[in-house]
Amino acid sequence: MSLSSTHEETLSPNEALKLKKNSWVMSSMDKKILSTLLALITIIAGFSLATDVFFTPRNFSNLLVQGSINGILAVGMTYVILLAGVDLSVGSVAGLIGIVVGISQAHWGWAESGIPGFITTLVFALAAGILIGVFNGALISILKIHSFVITFGMMVIARGLATIFSGASTISPVGPELNFLGTGTLTGIWVEIVLFVPALAWITFILLDEKKGRAQKSVTPSSRVFFKIFSVVVGTAALYFVSSYKGLPIPVLLCALVAFAGAWILARTRFGRYVFAVGGNAEAARLAGINVKRITFLVFVAMSSLAALASVVLTGRLNSAGPNAGTLFELDAIAAVVIGGTSLKGGKGSVLGSVLGALIITSLKNGMDLLEIQSYYQNIMLGGIVILAVSIDSLVERKMD
Amino acid sequence: MVDSNLKEHSLVELLRGKQSSAKDFARGFLEMKNIVMEFPGVKALNQVNFQARPGEILALMGENGAGKSTLMKILSGVIPYPQYKGEVVIDGEFAQFKSTKDARQKGVAIIHQELNLFPELSVAENMFLGMEPLSQQTLGVIDWRLRDRTARRWLRDIGIEMDVSQPLKNLSVGNQQLVEILRALATHAKILIFDEPTSSLSMSESETLFRILLDLKARGHTIIYISHRMEEVFRLADRVAVLRDGQTVGTSLRSESTPEKIVSLMVGREIHDLYPKRNPTFGSEAFRVEDLSVKARGPHEPEVKNVSFSVRSGEILGVAGLVGSGRTELICGIFGAISKSRVTKKVWVNEKKTHIYSPLDAIDRGVALVTEDRKITGLVLDRSVEENMTLAVLPRISPFHVINRLEADGLVKEYILKLRIKTPNSKVEVRTLSGGNQQKIVLAKWLACAPRVLFLDEPTRGIDVGARQEIYALIDLLAKQGVAIVMVSSDLPEVLGMSDRVLVLRDGEVAGILDKSQASQETVMKLAAGVKTQA
Repeated sequence: MSLSSTHEETLSPNEALKLKKNSWVMSSMDKKILSTLLALITIIAGFSLATDVFFTPRNFSNLLVQGSINGILAVGMTYVILLAGVDLSVGSVAGLIGIVVGISQAHWGWAESGIPGFITTLVFALAAGILIGVFNGALISILKIHSFVITFGMMVIARGLATIFSGASTISPVGPELNFLGTGTLTGIWVEIVLFVPALAWITFILLDEKKGRAQKSVTPSSRVFFKIFSVVVGTAALYFVSSYKGLPIPVLLCALVAFAGAWILARTRFGRYVFAVGGNAEAARLAGINVKRITFLVFVAMSSLAALASVVLTGRLNSAGPNAGTLFELDAIAAVVIGGTSLKGGKGSVLGSVLGALIITSLKNGMDLLEIQSYYQNIMLGGIVILAVSIDSLVERKMD
Repeated sequence: MVDSNLKEHSLVELLRGKQSSAKDFARGFLEMKNIVMEFPGVKALNQVNFQARPGEILALMGENGAGKSTLMKILSGVIPYPQYKGEVVIDGEFAQFKSTKDARQKGVAIIHQELNLFPELSVAENMFLGMEPLSQQTLGVIDWRLRDRTARRWLRDIGIEMDVSQPLKNLSVGNQQLVEILRALATHAKILIFDEPTSSLSMSESETLFRILLDLKARGHTIIYISHRMEEVFRLADRVAVLRDGQTVGTSLRSESTPEKIVSLMVGREIHDLYPKRNPTFGSEAFRVEDLSVKARGPHEPEVKNVSFSVRSGEILGVAGLVGSGRTELICGIFGAISKSRVTKKVWVNEKKTHIYSPLDAIDRGVALVTEDRKITGLVLDRSVEENMTLAVLPRISPFHVINRLEADGLVKEYILKLRIKTPNSKVEVRTLSGGNQQKIVLAKWLACAPRVLFLDEPTRGIDVGARQEIYALIDLLAKQGVAIVMVSSDLPEVLGMSDRVLVLRDGEVAGILDKSQASQETVMKLAAGVKTQA
């Protein structure tokens, strides 16, 4: 704390090297992710003991599919909350775009048009998502109105539009391609290809990275490398385990892709850095030449686009589109992000944490369903967990001060 | 804490130490004995001994991190007993404060560097918050008329006439501070601690403060004055105590000491030549601005009117001026940091006419700005050293938007070595580093962009002598490498020690540009304050 200014020699490169090699100095974000992971493991262990239906491929398959929609939304919400903002419209927008999808499939006949019809539906849905995101993003970034207000308004408007467009009734059915997107699985050799090839490639990259780093004298501590590889192995094994029941569900695959892309962009691109900077100190970011308005705008466009993707999956899965679809989805997404360790003040967080948070929420719901706990009590549980997670977080942080 | 006995005292009466309130303390003798304060991993105070007497101004000096704030936090109750070891004795009685309220009740008040008042509440409300006089007629209701009248009277007694019902934020910083002082006196404080009180004050406001301090001293208060500014200390203090690395390294009568002795006590070694000896060679014109005008943001805000100047490569142009003369607005206006609607200017970089409407424009043209307040506008405190250092240069090291990690790592390492930044590694949050190291990281951020023109606003504010020396050497080195440097500073010795020419700003206009040979404390102050000089 008291950094004396009496003249000390700075570490020579060799000493610095030794320092890093010996110990994995965990950043506060690392610690948060670890504790979230521990919580998840505890929950899984707990439910596995409580009922032997929990730890089965079939149940995990259901669990992951149910959670994949929230997972997709949570990735987008991570970016939004990193900017110290919030998007309350996500659930209503998902519902609205679901109606749009439903109308295009059932009323306009794209359901019968095979793959071209399916693609058109997707494009249409995405366009709608982008349009809404542009609306949100423009108002928030240019008018500098707080995102809470704008997205709240959009939430109400979107729900209203969904009711109008659907005539307050459910639209069904949807085409077989869309249905496959929501309920289908990859089977046979595809499972191995989709799981093992990327996993091996990833492990190779980790090792290559470390080798390159050693040559440049920036060493990652071996414990960290080991942990990375270990988690890839465990993750792949888990998905393989799940796939033994009927194959790898497409929604899960989609969610995984979105999560990887989201995490990668945040960690390795200029854009990701800018998001952290703008969320952490928008004024300092602006003075460093960052276009704060553009970053804010793009994040909200991305969020609504992901809401569009989520709604496509949801509609496919339910094989119908209802005006009330997606209600309260934004809260689950926000809860996942918060449980995962991202700070509501912005500037600190991770996609991995949010994914773990989403897994925690979906495991809790799933487990409680298996134990036949009524949904009212479930809500109390979930609310309690969110409060607990954030309280522990802030207590730990304050202790470190 | 409502003082129902608070009648309409005049300030003078109050200062005469009316014993009407039982909370009044006898004299104000303070002794802090063998104080030890440990935080996890750090011993912030190690057997500190410290005394202060009534009717005396004791200056407490030391570098950042020496323990001054910690010591005062113990005295003012921010750090409660028994978190610290040792004894605090006031007028012969042990004082074991459990809270700041305890401390205030025992007569200790601290006026912080950053004011602890409420900008939206009125002047009178702020002055008597928590101590309002109660109405005699209705139970539990504040007699606001009495409160306001008293506030007005007190201000008048120190020579200030103002509307006490206006919100505090309307007042200048100096006047806000006076309100805080009066508030401290309202608690019958005998021991007053002032923490860097003049850092945001104008010259005349500082003079008012000094007048009040001397008055308070004459009336028998015990005053502890924490300051970096040698001139003030040598003007006001009777005794000087120096802390270094959590220990008292010397207490002496001001009359028996010199600035050099004190600095060497603060740093632990002799500091010769704080400012590097410069042998500048000037190149061609690197930057020119003409007719720069910045509209004020509000009625009391500074503005800039038709300022023109130029800088050559290899030259250091100092910018001096009183608080409110528009120095920061000047360089922020040039950098494009102020919204286009308020700024008009004509700009040439390397003799080519160009425009700068935004920070990005400036950076693209090789212009960099190190802002006044690194914590607020210079750094993203929650992010790592590496992220902060690379923040402005990312476009150049990320092809197709993907960050080239090797280049980034190399850059970070290079600057950590070159600037001698003390940090355990490049991944720690910058929040954890000292002020001097934080400032170096800001500098590194801009140096990574290889600027041709570097604007600095208060580059060594809040930084210890040792780090300051390093930063001056760095600035000199940059100039030698051909960078044109414009340095705004309120530290006159710094401006005089470093600049090849000095531009003096007064009320938003150029009062004069002095060559190094002509620049001195007198000539600069005369221009800054408005007395016309000959030649």
